[in-house]
This record gives sequence, structure tokens and C-alpha cells, in this order.
Amino acid sequence: MNFLIRAVAIAALLHITPIVVLVKRPDAVQALLPGADAYVAREVHLSGTDAHRLHQAVDWSPEDGVLVFYGGTAGSTSVGALEFVRVDTPHGPIEVAVGFTPQGAVRGVVVTKATVEMKPWVLEAVAAGLTDHYRGLKPGEVPGGAAGIAGRAGNLAVYVAGEVDKGVARALAAYGAFYNHVRA
Amino acid sequence: MLYDLRRADVRVKWLVTGLLATLGLSYVFGAAMVALYAGFTPQSVAATYAGTEMSMPMPPETTMVVQRPMSMADFAGPEVHTVDTKLLIQDTHVHVPMYGLIAAALGVVVVGLSLPRRRALGLIALLFAAPWLDFAGMWLTKLVSPRFAIVTIAAGWAMGVAYLIVAALAIHQMWLSPERG
Repeated sequence: MNFLIRAVAIAALLHITPIVVLVKRPDAVQALLPGADAYVAREVHLSGTDAHRLHQAVDWSPEDGVLVFYGGTAGSTSVGALEFVRVDTPHGPIEVAVGFTPQGAVRGVVVTKATVEMKPWVLEAVAAGLTDHYRGLKPGEVPGGAAGIAGRAGNLAVYVAGEVDKGVARALAAYGAFYNHVRA
Repeated sequence: MLYDLRRADVRVKWLVTGLLATLGLSYVFGAAMVALYAGFTPQSVAATYAGTEMSMPMPPETTMVVQRPMSMADFAGPEVHTVDTKLLIQDTHVHVPMYGLIAAALGVVVVGLSLPRRRALGLIALLFAAPWLDFAGMWLTKLVSPRFAIVTIAAGWAMGVAYLIVAALAIHQMWLSPERG
């Protein structure tokens, strides 16, 4: 009976809570590609070699081996690009939108999805200024959002900030290696 | 038989009733969650579990790019919740033990029911087979063919039906049957 109770408790603790939308995708797009009036989806289907290279760099393989960048233009002027990156954590997935300026620097980061369990941690991390730490980063640089809010937020918020760091690192690596370097 | 829910102490009957009510509540919200994230049609379940992996199982020899125009409405469109292989491994790891415990708890209730031995064995088999088939359907949908989505749907209904049979028999035998103690 004791075993049964323990097993139930462990199973309940391990149960991943449902995903909730924190910021709708259109809102994230408007925030990260301000002023854009036309958009294009650029799907980069990675070869085995390139997928391996990306995996070596950031310990990540995009879903189905396809990177999707969304470019925005205002008239004939590019306003940048953005990516939605999923990070699988032991508490379930989070989704991070990372926007880039036309010059290739991070314009902003928005956490668009998290599980019910992680939502308060994400909100606390964002309130502590997490996303400010990513602005201006360029491919090759290391995101330090978790370190940036340590001391100003609780342990779980810092933990989830580390997961957001992973998402930003993946977006930087993918953007740096594949956004402008593969012809359509 | 020593363990007979019809003649069990009222405290045992109350415990079993509480267990069935709690599991029933979780099943109702489980169904609502399925409706939100996977749907009840073979097409929507296949879209959730098969994803695009079925259409492009092998990476191209060289990296290639496909571009298409997007509108803001495309960003706002309903997103299909997809479960890739990694997430399905995680889901299987956390759900199967819980399903096993639920089947075991309901199986213990079945053992206390006044049923012919074969029917009791069949009901216990159904309680365990349904979650097995549920996840087998998800994996087969992902790895073999989207057509196996029907297995997941059938198994999901089987889980619900098995629960309803156990709950209805238990409530009847414990609280309504003229033979109850």
C-alpha cells in the first residue's frame, strides 16, 4: 500500500501540465517586426550534415529538421526576421520568439508559450527584466538572461530563464548559420 | 469470497465511491483536454501525432530553402498541437505509469464485484488493454501510418467505457442492489 501511495505521488509530480499561450503569435510578430506590412516564411530544410553541425553547436535539432524564419518588410524595406523556438524542459515545453533586426542583432525576445506550471516562473522572470538582457546580441554571443536576473528573482524564475537562454542560443545559432547563407 | 463490495463495510463502500467519483472527474477533464489538444477525429489525431514526419522522413542531401508569403491571418490561424517523437517519449514515460495505477485501482474494484469470473477477467483485461492500445496507436501513427489514429481514438473510448461499466456496476451493487449488506 505504501508503495502504491508513493507511486501515485511520483506519477502526479511527473505529470506535465498543459501548455498555455502567454502571448499570441500575431502579437509577438507585431512586437518583433514593428511596422512590417508583408511577411514571408522561409523554411530551411537542413541536410544531415548541417543538422549535425547545428546539433553540435547548441545541442538541438529543430522539429522535423526544418528551421522556419519569418521575414517582415515595410514596403520594400526589410524590418528583420524572427523565429519561434521550442525548448523541451522536464516541466514541459516553452516557446520563445526571437526577433532580429536587418543588421542581424536580437531586437527582442518574447516567451509565447509555457506550461501551466511554468507560467508564473516565466512571468516572474520577465517582470525581473529577463528579455532586456537579450537585446543587441549577435550570432556567436552567449545569452545571459538567467545570470542577469539572478538575485532579483526566485530560483524557479532563474531556472526558467536558463531555459529561455537555451532558446535564444538556438535561435542565434540557426539565424547566424542559415538565415542568409542558403539560397532559396 | 471475503472481498465483496455488496456486503462490504460502509467505510469501504464510501472509499470506493470517492475513488470512482474522483476518477470520473479526471476522465471528464481528460476528455476536455483531448478535445483541446488532439480532437476526436482520426484526421486531427493523425495531425497531432504523425505531424510532418511522415511526409519527409529523410533529410535532403543538401540544405534547401522553401519560401512562401505569409499574412498576419496565417500567424493567427489555429495552430495544430503536434507531439514529436521526443515529446511522445516523455508523454509515454509519465502517462503509462499513471494509467497503470488507475487500471489497477479500478481492477481492485472489479475484484469486489459480484460478476462471473470470465466477465471480471475480461473487464480487468479491458482496463489494462485500453491504455496500452492508446499509446500503441500514438506510436503507430507516428512511426507507421496516420491511419493508426483510429486505434488511439478507439482505445480512448474503450478507457471511458471501461470506467463507466465499473462505476455503474459498483454503484449499483454497493448502494442500490437488494442483495447489498
